[in-house]
Amino acid sequence: MLTDTPRKLTIIRDGSDKVFRGVIRAGGSVVLIIMVLVGSFLGYRAAQALNMAGWSFFTEQAWEPDAGKFGIAAVIVGTILIATVAIIVALPLSLGTALFITEYAPRQLRSFLVSIVDLMAAIPSVVFGLWGFFFLQQAIVPVSRWISQYFGWIPGLGVTGVDPTDPLATTTVYTSSTFIAGIVVGIMVTPIVTSIMREVFSQTPVGEREGALALGATRWAMIRNVVLPFGQGGIIGGTMLGLGRALGETIAVYMIISPVFVIQPNILQNGASSVAALIALRYGESTEMGLSALMAAGLALFTMTLIVNFGASIVVARSRSGAAS
Amino acid sequence: MNARQKFVSSVRALLAFLLTAIIVTGGSTAAVAADYVPISGAGSSWSANALDQWRRNVKQYGMSVNYASTGSVDGRNQFKGGTVDFGVSETPYGLKDNGVVDELPTRPFVYIPIVAGGTAFMYNLTSGGNRITNLRLSGDVVTKMFTGVITKWNDAAIAADNPGITLPDRAVVPVVRSDGSGSTAQFTLWMATKYTSLWNNYCNAVGRNECGQTSFYPTKSGMVAQPGSQGVSGYVAQKANEGTITYVEYSYALKTNFPVAKILNDANYYVEPTASNVAVGLLGAKINQNKNSSMYLTQELGGVYNSKDARAYPLSSYSYIIVPTTEQASFTAAKGGTLAAFSNYFLCEGQQQAEVLGYSPLPVNLVKVGLEQVSKIPGADTSKINIAKCNNPTFSASGENTLAKNAPMPDACDKKGVEQCTAGTGGATGTTSGGTTTGTTITGTTGGTTGTGTTGGGVMGGTMGTGPTTCDVDTGVCSNVKAIPVATTSNGWAATNWIILSVIIVLVLIVVVPPVVVTYAARKVR
Repeated sequence: MLTDTPRKLTIIRDGSDKVFRGVIRAGGSVVLIIMVLVGSFLGYRAAQALNMAGWSFFTEQAWEPDAGKFGIAAVIVGTILIATVAIIVALPLSLGTALFITEYAPRQLRSFLVSIVDLMAAIPSVVFGLWGFFFLQQAIVPVSRWISQYFGWIPGLGVTGVDPTDPLATTTVYTSSTFIAGIVVGIMVTPIVTSIMREVFSQTPVGEREGALALGATRWAMIRNVVLPFGQGGIIGGTMLGLGRALGETIAVYMIISPVFVIQPNILQNGASSVAALIALRYGESTEMGLSALMAAGLALFTMTLIVNFGASIVVARSRSGAAS
Repeated sequence: MNARQKFVSSVRALLAFLLTAIIVTGGSTAAVAADYVPISGAGSSWSANALDQWRRNVKQYGMSVNYASTGSVDGRNQFKGGTVDFGVSETPYGLKDNGVVDELPTRPFVYIPIVAGGTAFMYNLTSGGNRITNLRLSGDVVTKMFTGVITKWNDAAIAADNPGITLPDRAVVPVVRSDGSGSTAQFTLWMATKYTSLWNNYCNAVGRNECGQTSFYPTKSGMVAQPGSQGVSGYVAQKANEGTITYVEYSYALKTNFPVAKILNDANYYVEPTASNVAVGLLGAKINQNKNSSMYLTQELGGVYNSKDARAYPLSSYSYIIVPTTEQASFTAAKGGTLAAFSNYFLCEGQQQAEVLGYSPLPVNLVKVGLEQVSKIPGADTSKINIAKCNNPTFSASGENTLAKNAPMPDACDKKGVEQCTAGTGGATGTTSGGTTTGTTITGTTGGTTGTGTTGGGVMGGTMGTGPTTCDVDTGVCSNVKAIPVATTSNGWAATNWIILSVIIVLVLIVVVPPVVVTYAARKVR
């Protein structure tokens, strides 16, 4: 009786192949090595502060490293809140923009729109910060006030310390808030999210598109049944990448928020916090202990961003493009 | 053909001319610039407006000076760490702040005073639609506003300082610095010295045990914290942020066209931090004259706070540049030469512009010792230092401070207890508050005969129309009662809220329902 044994494959690579593989491998491992080095540097510098604070580092809200009283409870929550607002702003905006560019815009306009969106990504963060502080803040305060007046009963949208029926009530309680910082960051991450989504949408197989249209689907039905399922991975991946950037956004947030070191769940109210903005605010004026504490906060942010990005890549890998269609 | 040739040749001539011009000018600037190398500094945003002007001015000599106004504490730390060639700070090294002593840098250094100025209280307040520009405050009231004791602008204590203004029932929103700041240090030192118990009570209440002078303002809810002088002044200057008040150098109020509060001095006069009032105030400053001390030339301001001169502004102070006295690491003799030339410029010629910018020029004694310190910078070209050519407005043959000597006495209406002056302050000069003129000119009239249209009452009546106008007998301010736009709904859940909610629900349904129905119907057919 003959049994089939798989034929042994021998791969013979020529020189250029080997060089190429070598270069690619080296590139990949350098990225990993740098990540590990950054992480261990942060860990090494943070050790002093972490030893001193112990587990209270995760539960303490105040930030007074020189008094030995510091923790990331408030700043991490603040960072997540700002990033959440940013994603809520950025997701619909970039989904719409990407769909319009790939599906609806006239062909002549398309490349122009693409370069406009890419140009937006090149605007420095500080410009967004200035714009947010000097222009957007004044414009958005009435909106914040309206939302808190009518939807203040929803947890997180309320504002304390102001009577909405008093015409002389100060509007400063609505400024420098998580909400405003979140909107600015959302607009900042929109271009990158848009370009990833656009890239994936434009790769939808033409055959499937034409098939859907041939079966009598309207353009919107085609988008819903072909483009969106195909681009699911791109939507999630782009959003997560945007979230990663939103978590680490520094200067714009630093310029807008009025830093507080208590957990501030009311996103419309004055006072917000973020790890990156805290580091920008304090690194230049810290003592050795303060610097170590900032490194520890940076380490926490670094870990969180890594988790988000790994989560994104897992999600993207699971929902392989086109798998759902 | 001929015409064309002519044209071509004239273009050529022009090009040749331009080219030579470029080469000549380029060559000449390169020759000047060869003496100087770029230097960089960081620190105080209090004195940043003056430094920025001086930096622009010395560009013509080929000097390139970079300066980042990141706050005094950052400036001191960066100088200590050796990342900048010079630091700028209002406070010296070696002070204890929040329980930590700021250690002296290991590199040898000296302090040089760069400019004087007043820490002003810039505010954003309107009454009856008109900006208030002539507010007066006494020291304890300021302290109480920044420590949460006084929370409303119509508080009796503020009203007592301002008999001529009708103050609105608005919340006082103190805007403080979020970064480590020399302005904060100057302000808290003043509060800690003059109003010790008020300041200490506040500090203890917000959980800071060690109080006194601090560069990091302890905040409580209701306050707004912003980074940098640009941040706090920019925040107050936003139109919607009414009721805000901040401490910032006078120049920022001039720059943003906002008024500053006149502060009561120990001679019972309310004064503005103008160049001359600051110069008078600083006559009371004690300068450390011990050349061997690490604090040589630093200031002791107790005498300024308690100055009995009617013109003295109590929150006057000097700002200092911190310069290295040895070559070390990245600080070469070439850099030292540039830094010395720049220092020579601002101590001498630069002082002429101080007043216009909102600062006060240095007196002759400080310029003299300052120039002595400049010659200690390695690579300094001492031959160019000549105090006789300074043309500083404070100098005089007798050594007296001309600016302080000739400072005008405050107006009679600036005296405590007298109805206040109507002229504007700070960057809001020339405008007189309408609310104020109403208050001073029409007392006790009824029936709204305010008329003229420039006054607060007149504007109100003109725009709001129909309702009966009533004038307060005590203050003389007229208001149109019916027309004040007050939201009439109670705090609770009213009909309008239901309407808005249902509109939103309907909108959501319009978007969501059709696709769902279509999908469902399609499935059924299948």
